[in-house]
Amino acid sequence: MSKKTILIVDDSLTVRQQVDMTLKSAGYQTVDACDGKEGLEAVRAHAEIAMVLCDLNMPNMNGIEFLETIKGEAAGPPVPVVMLTTDGAPDLIARAKRAGAKGWIVKPFQPELLLAAVRRIAGDPG
Amino acid sequence: MMPGDSNETRLADIVAQCMGELLTELKASAQRLTGARPPPPAVEAIAAFCGFGNNELRGSFTLLGPSKLFARLHPLSPSVSPRDLTDWACELVNQSVGRFRNRMFAYGVRLAPSLPQSALAAQLFLSSSLQPNRTPIAFSIDGMVLEGWFDVEIQPGFRLAEKPSEEEAIVLNEGGMLIF
Repeated sequence: MSKKTILIVDDSLTVRQQVDMTLKSAGYQTVDACDGKEGLEAVRAHAEIAMVLCDLNMPNMNGIEFLETIKGEAAGPPVPVVMLTTDGAPDLIARAKRAGAKGWIVKPFQPELLLAAVRRIAGDPG
Repeated sequence: MMPGDSNETRLADIVAQCMGELLTELKASAQRLTGARPPPPAVEAIAAFCGFGNNELRGSFTLLGPSKLFARLHPLSPSVSPRDLTDWACELVNQSVGRFRNRMFAYGVRLAPSLPQSALAAQLFLSSSLQPNRTPIAFSIDGMVLEGWFDVEIQPGFRLAEKPSEEEAIVLNEGGMLIF
């Protein structure tokens, strides 16, 4: 079982709980944040974070702003981020990709696909 | 949808379809209700609201139903608190509007969302008297009614295409995933 830590950034408590349960069922540890600003603080405070699952439409700091900020702050490769959002618009997906996102999942998510993405991006063989 | 239906009617039909799809994915046995209904029972209820818009149209979608109904639909039910339920109502209306925005993309219409909001109260009623552009969209689920209200204001000159365009870039559908 993996012990890697995944950061969940979403303003919905329900989604954070759903993702948390899915990840913990596969042995991951989690940290959560309710918007991009809090997510940024979590990235700065937890060097062990291996990957971020991040919503797009959030108060204070949205997902794209979060992506751009951590990319700008990183001395080396930034922590990989997969967007988890209700949006499936190709222009937004392209924008997130340019900002450094490693993937995109449209809610409601399928647990097995979410885990597949995490295993691939976090580098866990699962 | 029928040719000649108003923009408002056709947009409301798309929202209703999105709502139905979402309820199906939540494994709710939901039946669309049409026509007049008696006033909702005086029980604790939750309302959730999400707006959307662009330069040509703007509106909102509101969901209203008994707290018990949101508990029934909650993915982590039954261990849920009132806070969980109001949060879930926000997410439900957010996912309904998100799905609507994704469908509208194929019509060449890009919509920006607002942040969803919700409220819980001992009694909640929606009044249709103030806003004539509201369209009711209701579903019966396990003997309870989930009321939806679609509200849209359209600028003169806007006309929704008769059908989705195949020339528009393809939207990643709900549940879909891309790895870059």
